[in-house]
Amino acid sequence: MPVPDLFCAMMKEEWRMHSTIFGSLGFALFPAVIAVFALLGSLTLPLFADVLPYDAVALFAHALFLLMGVMVGSFGLMGREFMNRRFGQASLVAYASRSLPVSERRIFAAFLVKDTVYYILLYVLPFAAGFAAATPFIGLDPGLAVLAFVSLALAFLLGLSAVCFLSTLYARSVALLAGTAAGLAVLALAAFRLGAITVSAVLPPYAFFLDPAVEPLAISLLLILVPAAASVLFVTVDYPDRTKRFKNSLDPLAERVRTLGSAHFIAKDALDLLRSEGGAGKVIFSFLFPLGLVWVCLRVLIRFIPGIDPLVVFSALLGVISATIYNWLTEFDSFTSYAFLPVEVSEVIDAKLKSYALANLLPLGVLVLAAATSGGAGTFIPALAAFASVSAYTLAVTVYLTGLHPNVMLYHAWVFLRYLLAISPALLLLIFASILDPLYAFGSLLLILPAALLLSRGRTRWQAWEMPGY
Amino acid sequence: MGVRQMIEADSLTKEYGNVTAVNRVSFTVTEGELFGLLGPNGSGKTTMIRMLTGQIPPTSGSARVMGLDAAKDPIGVRGLVGIIPEQETPPSFLTAEEYLRFVARIRSLDDVDERCDRWFDLLEFGDKRNVLCKDLSRGTRQKLMFSQAFLHEPELALIDEPLINLDPIMQRTVKDFLREYVQGGGTVFFSTHILEIAEEICDRIGVIHNGRLLHAGQLEDLIGSGRHLESFFLDLVRGDAGA
Ligand SMILES: Nc1ncnc2c1ncn2[C@@H]1O[C@H](COP(=O)(O)OP(=O)(O)OP(=O)(O)O)[C@@H](O)[C@H]1O
Ligand SMILES: [Mg+2]
Repeated sequence: MPVPDLFCAMMKEEWRMHSTIFGSLGFALFPAVIAVFALLGSLTLPLFADVLPYDAVALFAHALFLLMGVMVGSFGLMGREFMNRRFGQASLVAYASRSLPVSERRIFAAFLVKDTVYYILLYVLPFAAGFAAATPFIGLDPGLAVLAFVSLALAFLLGLSAVCFLSTLYARSVALLAGTAAGLAVLALAAFRLGAITVSAVLPPYAFFLDPAVEPLAISLLLILVPAAASVLFVTVDYPDRTKRFKNSLDPLAERVRTLGSAHFIAKDALDLLRSEGGAGKVIFSFLFPLGLVWVCLRVLIRFIPGIDPLVVFSALLGVISATIYNWLTEFDSFTSYAFLPVEVSEVIDAKLKSYALANLLPLGVLVLAAATSGGAGTFIPALAAFASVSAYTLAVTVYLTGLHPNVMLYHAWVFLRYLLAISPALLLLIFASILDPLYAFGSLLLILPAALLLSRGRTRWQAWEMPGY
Repeated sequence: MGVRQMIEADSLTKEYGNVTAVNRVSFTVTEGELFGLLGPNGSGKTTMIRMLTGQIPPTSGSARVMGLDAAKDPIGVRGLVGIIPEQETPPSFLTAEEYLRFVARIRSLDDVDERCDRWFDLLEFGDKRNVLCKDLSRGTRQKLMFSQAFLHEPELALIDEPLINLDPIMQRTVKDFLREYVQGGGTVFFSTHILEIAEEICDRIGVIHNGRLLHAGQLEDLIGSGRHLESFFLDLVRGDAGA
C-alpha cells in the first residue's frame, strides 16, 4: 500500500473516530473555537502592551505550539495503546502491518504526515485565521498572520519531530535515549553559562517570524526534517513477542496506601501506569520534556519582561501541565471494566483523585529542584501556593467537564472551549499579578474554593452520565 | 413458602434512537432454574442482560432482580449477582491473579487466596495467574471472567454467551459446573445463539427476536412434543420475520 493511500485511510479513521464520539458538528467546531479564542486574545493585546510587548507574546505563542507538537507527538505515539484498546486493534490502520503486507516504516511515515496535516488544519490554521481577523483592529499588517501561520506551523512540527526522534531512540534503547538527553542537557547548560542561548538558537521558527529570512527558515526545516527522517528510517515497533509475568503486586501496593482508602484502585492505577507501553518513557515525553521547554522559554522571556519572577510563573504553568497526569491516570480505564461490578462512577473518580494527589509529588519535586537550582528560594512559598492551587483547579475543571474521559472529551469543541475559558483567565490573571509582585501569587489560593465546588459537582454529574458507544 | 422469584421483568423496553432493542418483554425466572435466552444476532440479548443488571436504564418498564429494582438500585443488584458481560474486558495491566484479587477487594471478600485457587484449579488456568490480562488468550480471558463472576458465590448469575471462545473440554467443564450450580440451589440466566447448549443444559428457554420475546417455556414441553429445538427456533424466528 503506498503512503498516500495509507494517509487517506488514516485521515478518514481519525475523523470518524472523533466524530462518532461527539457527532461531526461538535468536532468540526473545534477549529472555530480556536479561531475565536485567537481573535479575542489578539484584540486584547493593545491593553497589555505595556507589560507584555508583542515580541514576548509572539514568543509565547511559538513556545505554545512547540509544546503542542510535543504533546501531540507523545500522545500519538504513546496513546496508540489507548485508542487501540477502545477501538480494537484490528480496526486501526496504524496496526495494519500486523495483518497486511505493509511495512512499519510506511505506516509510521503516513502517521507523521497525517498528524502534520491534521493538526495544522485543526490548530495552527484557525489560530492564524483568528489572529488575521484581529489585525485590522489592532493596527497590525494582515500579512503578519500569514507569516505567523508558517512560523507557528514550523514550531509545531519542531516539537513533533523532536519527540518522534526521541521516541525512536527510546524504542531502540533506553541507554541511547538517556545518553542523548544527557548530551543535550550538558550542551544546553554550557550554552546557557556562556550566554550563547539566544532566542533564535532555541526556537528558530520564532527567529523566522521576527526576521523572515532564508537562514532561520533553513535551520528550522533542517531541525524538523532530519530528526523526522531519522525517526522514520530507524523506526521499530516492538511486538509483544514474549508474555511478561508479574508476581502479585496489587496487594503489597494497596497495603502501602491503605490509609487513603480505595487502596486497591490506587494500586491498580499505579500498576497501569508503570506497566503500560512506554512506562517511565511516557512520563519523560509528556511531562518532563515539556516542562524543560517551559523553563528554557521562561529564562528567555525574562529578558523581555524585567519584573517577572520565573519561579512563580513556572509553578503556575507547572500546575496546568500537572493536570495532564489525570489524563494518564484515566487512559487505561474505561468504565466498561467496572460496569458489571458493584462500583459507582464517583468511587472510581475519588480513587483517581487520590492517585492524582500522590502523582503530584513528581511535579512538586520538579518545583523544589527548580527553586533550588535557580536561586529562587525567596519566592518558593508563593510559588508552591500557585502550583498547588492551579493544579487542583485545573484538575477540578477537567473532572467536571470530562469525567473519566479527558482524553476523548477535550476534543469536543464545546467542552474544550469551556476548558479554555475556565482556565486561561485565572492563569493569565495569576501570571500578571505575580509580575507586579510575586507575593500576589498567594491570591491563587482563592482557586481552591471553585475547585472544591467543581469537584463535588463533577462527581454527581458523571454519576448519572452514560458514555455512548463504550 | 412459595417459590422465590429471582428475576421479574415487567414490560422491559429499551430504545436506541429509532431502534427498539428490547420491546415490552415480561418474564420471570425462579430460584434454582437454568434459563437460556435464545436469539439471533442483534435480537436484544445483551441489551436485556445489561438492563437486568442495572448497567443501562430501561426506556420503560422495570426489572426486579433478587427483590431489588435494577434501575433504582444497580449497585445493590450488582453486589448480589455475578455477571459475565459480552465483551471480556478485564483491566489490561493487571495479571489474572491481581484482577481476581481486585474484584475480591471490591466485593469485600475474605479467604481471597482459597477463592482464587479454587477457580484457577477448576478452570485449569493456574499457570496463567501471573500473566497480564491483555496477554491472555481469549478463551483464558473468558475463564477469568467466569471466575470473577462466581468468586463471591452468588445466588444468581447472569451470563452473556457463557461458552464463547472455550474449547470443547472446557465447555464440558463449564456446562457441568452450571448444572451442578443450579442443583445446589443457584440460579443462572444466560444468553446464547448456540442452540445445542440450550438444548443440553437449560430448564427453561426464552426466544427473543427483534427485541420481542416470542416464546418462553419449559424445555421439556418442547422436546417432549417430539421436536428439536432447532426446528422450533427456526420456525419461530422465520415466522416472525415473515409477519
Ligand atoms: N449502545 C447502543 N446504541 C445503539 N444501538 C444499540 C446499542 N446497543 C445495542 N444496540 C442495538 O440494539 C439491538 C440489539 O443489540 P444486542 O447487542 O442486545 O443484540 P444481541 O442479541 O446481544 O446480539 P449478538 O448475538 O450479536 O450479541 C441491535 O440492533 C443493536 O444494533
Ligand atoms: Mg450480544
